[in-house]
Amino acid sequence: MTALLEASGLVRRYGATVALDGFDLSVAAGEIAGLVGHNGAGKTTFARVTAGLLAPHAGMVRIAGQAPARARPLLGLAPQELALYPTATARENLELFAGLYGMRRRAARQRIAALAGDLVLSDVLDRRARDLSGGQQRRLQAATAMVHRPRVLLLDEPTVGADPVTRDALLAVVRAAAGEGAAVVYTTHYLPELDTLGATLAVASGGRVIARGSRAELLATVPGHAVADFARPPAALTGLAPLGGQAEVSQDGTRLVITAPDPAAALAPLLAAHADAVAHLRSLELRPPTLDDLYRHLVAS
Amino acid sequence: MTSSGLVIPASGSRAAAIRIAAVTRHQAVLLARDPGPMIGYTVMGLLLITATRPLYAIVAPTVPGAASGIDLAAAGMAVMFSLFALKVGAAHLLNERTWRTRDRLRASPAAFGEVLAGKAMPILAAIIAQQAVLFGVAAAAFGLRPRAGWLALAACAVAWSACVLLLGFGASTLARSPAQLSAAGDIFALLTTVIGGALVPVALLPGWLRAIAPASPGYWALAAYHTALAGSTAQLGRPLEMLGVFACIGAFLTALIAAA
Repeated sequence: MTALLEASGLVRRYGATVALDGFDLSVAAGEIAGLVGHNGAGKTTFARVTAGLLAPHAGMVRIAGQAPARARPLLGLAPQELALYPTATARENLELFAGLYGMRRRAARQRIAALAGDLVLSDVLDRRARDLSGGQQRRLQAATAMVHRPRVLLLDEPTVGADPVTRDALLAVVRAAAGEGAAVVYTTHYLPELDTLGATLAVASGGRVIARGSRAELLATVPGHAVADFARPPAALTGLAPLGGQAEVSQDGTRLVITAPDPAAALAPLLAAHADAVAHLRSLELRPPTLDDLYRHLVAS
Repeated sequence: MTSSGLVIPASGSRAAAIRIAAVTRHQAVLLARDPGPMIGYTVMGLLLITATRPLYAIVAPTVPGAASGIDLAAAGMAVMFSLFALKVGAAHLLNERTWRTRDRLRASPAAFGEVLAGKAMPILAAIIAQQAVLFGVAAAAFGLRPRAGWLALAACAVAWSACVLLLGFGASTLARSPAQLSAAGDIFALLTTVIGGALVPVALLPGWLRAIAPASPGYWALAAYHTALAGSTAQLGRPLEMLGVFACIGAFLTALIAAA
């Protein structure tokens, strides 16, 4: 699929600090790319470079084949920090951004009404932005980025401090935007959101993307755990470890922890070979790798 | 909007016009939501016109070109309080930084000039309205009559308001915080007022202040107003030219620092 957003070899420094160090990312039309990484990994700098707010020291960004400065009409940006006009109403904030993107007033009014409905903002459209709750302000900020139906949408931690209802509404609208063909870069620290969005993943660390792929592809590289708890101290069970093959087996009191890419598959032959141990088995818990595990694994490695 | 719900934005010069109109409407809303400073600077001007008119009536015969005390009082207070209003324009630009909306505007298709034009129009209208109220009340209550005609006085008010606006925009690019802007704005307004002769007519200032008075844009604003009030249209050229020079300095400063 053709990439709508393409960044390659981006380098951006702030004095001696290297914020982007060969940052590569391609996002196709209709794709939501979840950009994750610890603070300082380069996520926000990437968003700023892509939006044309910062010039890279090396590398390039193309949005639908154009440089950021020429592609501004195609882009929607919701920065990490709230950037709204507090004395203007929610509607007035939205009307400004609709107008900035050349939307005619009638079309803007219709779009604002629809978007406000989707983001549960209809009842507060005529309230000043400063009088909205934190969650409403977050949704309003996202709405200002989406009002013109951008082809590339950059959402930098849009759900920080949002309650579950706020989050669900926002995620649904982001999914809808991707469904209409937008390429979305969704920066977050809340990894379960990326599952909800059905996002592909880009893990950033040290100013570059260290892993990129679908959720399934990346999770396949991360070991999960099986935890077997026995009724009596499984002194004899320590000898089971070598039977795990590629699995790592460790013992923690009465618990045996098997770590393997597919912990269930590793556990089955182990227990089959030691039916006597199974008689003392009190509980068995399978913990397949999560996005949190993936993130920790990649950053640690 | 198409039947599929897709919004088709305008393009080219029409889109630019839509963008400027959007910023203008929005700026008008922001001004209307926070009218206190402009109302304050207008009411204070009216009070001072009323209070100082008798004093200026005594001084007027010693001031070349001044027809009456109300001429001096109205022109002086119009200049002084429009300089304080300069802070209003500057504050609205500075707000874009403190509210972090500046980057949102920068990331939009609107060019810097479009944003500035859109923001300038309502603020300019507010400063012109302030001048109109001051001169209008002076006319209604104290018999002010411009000898060069109301049109000439209006032209001076528009030229001076545009100059004030552009100087204010320039000042906002230098200030880093609202407190800094407020302090710098007060100092600039008072210096320009005093040196320009808006409080004490230039003819009565100490010699060294008289010598530097033409460096103040206020001096040329007063020259323009005094000419419109007590002179003829033919004499307006030089003061209006000089106001144009100061307006260009403000515009240049704004563009230079914004580009940097």
